Amino acid sequence: MTNSRVFLFGYGNHGKPIGKGLSEDGFYVVIAEADEKNQQQAIENGFEDTHLIDVTNDEQLMNLDIKPEDQLVCVMDDEHLNVFLTLSLRSLFESCIILSISDSIHTTQKLKMAGADKVIDLYEVSANRIHNILKRPVTTKLLEGFVGDKHEISFKEIVIPENSFLGGVMSDEYTFEQHGVLLVGMIDQEAGDSFVFVTTGVNHKLDSGDTIVCIGREEELNAFENLIIQTKERG
Amino acid sequence: MNRFILKITLALSRSKRYKTVKSLVWEMLNNPLNPYKKYVDLSIIFFILTSVLILIYEVKHPAPKWIEYYDIYLVSAIFLIEYLLRVWVHNDISPIVIEEHKQSEFLGREFRGKEALMKGLRKKIDYMLTPSAMIDLLAVFPAYRPLRILRIFVLFRVFKLLRYAKSINQFTQVLSSKRFELLTLLFLLVFVVMTAGVALYVIEEQINPHIDSLFDAIYWALVTISTVGYGDISPVTDAGRTISMVIIISGIAMISFATSVIVSAFSERLVELKEVRIIEKINKNKEFLIICGYGQMTKMFFAQNDHRIKNYVILEIDPLKVHQAQKDGFDVIQEDASRYETLSKFNAAHAKITLLCLTRNDVENIYITLNAKSVSSKIDVVARASGREMIKKFERAGADHILLPSEVADTMIRTAISHPTMYKAVHAILAGKGIARIDEISVVEHDAICKKRVGQIDFKAFKLLFIGIYRGKDYPFIFIPSSNEVFQDGDVLLVMGLEMSIEYFKDMYQGNLR
Repeated sequence: MTNSRVFLFGYGNHGKPIGKGLSEDGFYVVIAEADEKNQQQAIENGFEDTHLIDVTNDEQLMNLDIKPEDQLVCVMDDEHLNVFLTLSLRSLFESCIILSISDSIHTTQKLKMAGADKVIDLYEVSANRIHNILKRPVTTKLLEGFVGDKHEISFKEIVIPENSFLGGVMSDEYTFEQHGVLLVGMIDQEAGDSFVFVTTGVNHKLDSGDTIVCIGREEELNAFENLIIQTKERG
Repeated sequence: MNRFILKITLALSRSKRYKTVKSLVWEMLNNPLNPYKKYVDLSIIFFILTSVLILIYEVKHPAPKWIEYYDIYLVSAIFLIEYLLRVWVHNDISPIVIEEHKQSEFLGREFRGKEALMKGLRKKIDYMLTPSAMIDLLAVFPAYRPLRILRIFVLFRVFKLLRYAKSINQFTQVLSSKRFELLTLLFLLVFVVMTAGVALYVIEEQINPHIDSLFDAIYWALVTISTVGYGDISPVTDAGRTISMVIIISGIAMISFATSVIVSAFSERLVELKEVRIIEKINKNKEFLIICGYGQMTKMFFAQNDHRIKNYVILEIDPLKVHQAQKDGFDVIQEDASRYETLSKFNAAHAKITLLCLTRNDVENIYITLNAKSVSSKIDVVARASGREMIKKFERAGADHILLPSEVADTMIRTAISHPTMYKAVHAILAGKGIARIDEISVVEHDAICKKRVGQIDFKAFKLLFIGIYRGKDYPFIFIPSSNEVFQDGDVLLVMGLEMSIEYFKDMYQGNLR
């Protein structure tokens, strides 16, 4: 995963934390900005591959050397520019995945029409969160930790390597609890690439190549992952 | 005598029982937030209505004896008790007497118990002289049937209802705000009626067979000026008819003037009245939401909801936004949520209030949070913050939940790119969709699950993933509890599963089935 690149358009309110997070996750982040101040900021924060471009100019966009497998994130501070940029990128690079954040109700629809694959509506997500806080306060407090990184309990996805001790094990029979983690769901390659929750009650056979998603404390998750990888080395 | 008064007052002021009973009675009679007041009110209203209905029925039909007894003895007795209780709880005499005793000891003069007693009683008498207390007193007397004139007492029973008609209070309030205009009008009316009445009396008393006295003439003038015009008395001379024409025209002018004064008074106060009503309505609920700010977040919050939110009120300062919210059909009050008076109007003592601070401004949100917490620490505050660095401040201010809109969105983008599989899972869980929701099951003492060990419950059989136990703010979250952990009263269990699995589990273990 580390070799895939992310093009971050806009290094402003949203761009900064996203860029930081993605580079922590091991992505190669390319930053494109229309504003010189923001670009300088990006360089100061340690991003090497930054470009100062006019995002309304197709030629300059073409010069960015975007490959079909790259992911594009449009988070310019200016909403109008953001929509325009999404539209240009979609027309120039058919197969890339474009993600965007919408800061208002009206923009979400426009971004989708412009061709963004995933639009995160700031208000929708937050409003949803409020409903959750009201209905399920404890869960929400805990889930905040799941997605962010400030709590001790979080999610992790682990790919089962070949010859792991988990290979061939039925998902219902193995007690993950002994490692201090819980199995939430998996992607079973036999059953197609969709995500399956354990609670649907179907017993799955785990094979190498399957991705499992677990929750647990950070250390235990890491220990569990190491355990899986180690068994592979031994085998 | 003095010693006797002092002894009784001291005994009363020391007795805790007496005080609690008195304050309870006061609450039940006067505090609209008290949950029992409703029942007291309803029963009083019931007695009033039956009493009035009995009298109406009796006009044409002979009523059975027991109904008469009910009206004369029972209803009167109840009203008498109510009246006496109201007088009793109006003020405390004993502190006044004790204060007098202290003063006299300090100054070394003679203790004048009687005077102090009178001072306290005077306050009660002041209360008894207020219109509502007078009505209460007069309503005690039953309408004594054989004496027709005494039937008038039933009117006071009807007047008693006024206490429960808030609109009447508001009506008088509104009218009193236009006291000057209305009084001017009244004087003008009296002047015109008197002049016209006297004139007609002088001109027609001899000629007109219907006018026997000055009273008749004034009665005619009022009936004419009000444009009612019964026609039982009408002028017969040309002079009289001329007077008629003049007062009819001035009458029309006066009526339209009066109407416009009243209408303008109402339209001025209408917004305020509406807001008072909204607050009164919301305060009756056991649990409700106060939402500060009507911006995009609030709109989205309402738009997204599948189950309609019933008990809420929006506070917004900006009149334009208030107008917008009204147009969208929401209960909104134009008030500043950062003012102490605004939030203290809400019934924080008896209801569970959740306050959502959703304005764009951190400073404003923190201020509102602090304000809410200073009004009552029982108010739950969900506050919106612009960034991570604000969390500490909000926590210090006492916010129970802190919402970071941009951070949530940023981490979602990050997860969507770096962990696409997890993104789907987390998103499904966050959205609380049917396939995999994490739900909370609270344990109450009489639940079947309470006092059982974790090992005794087979979550897997219910197709549930048992995540952990939350035991309140002071305890750490117990993630994957050991099988020896015992479920306690007040625990919240976190389980993940299909909605129906969770419902089934609740059916099986909540309540004392086994």
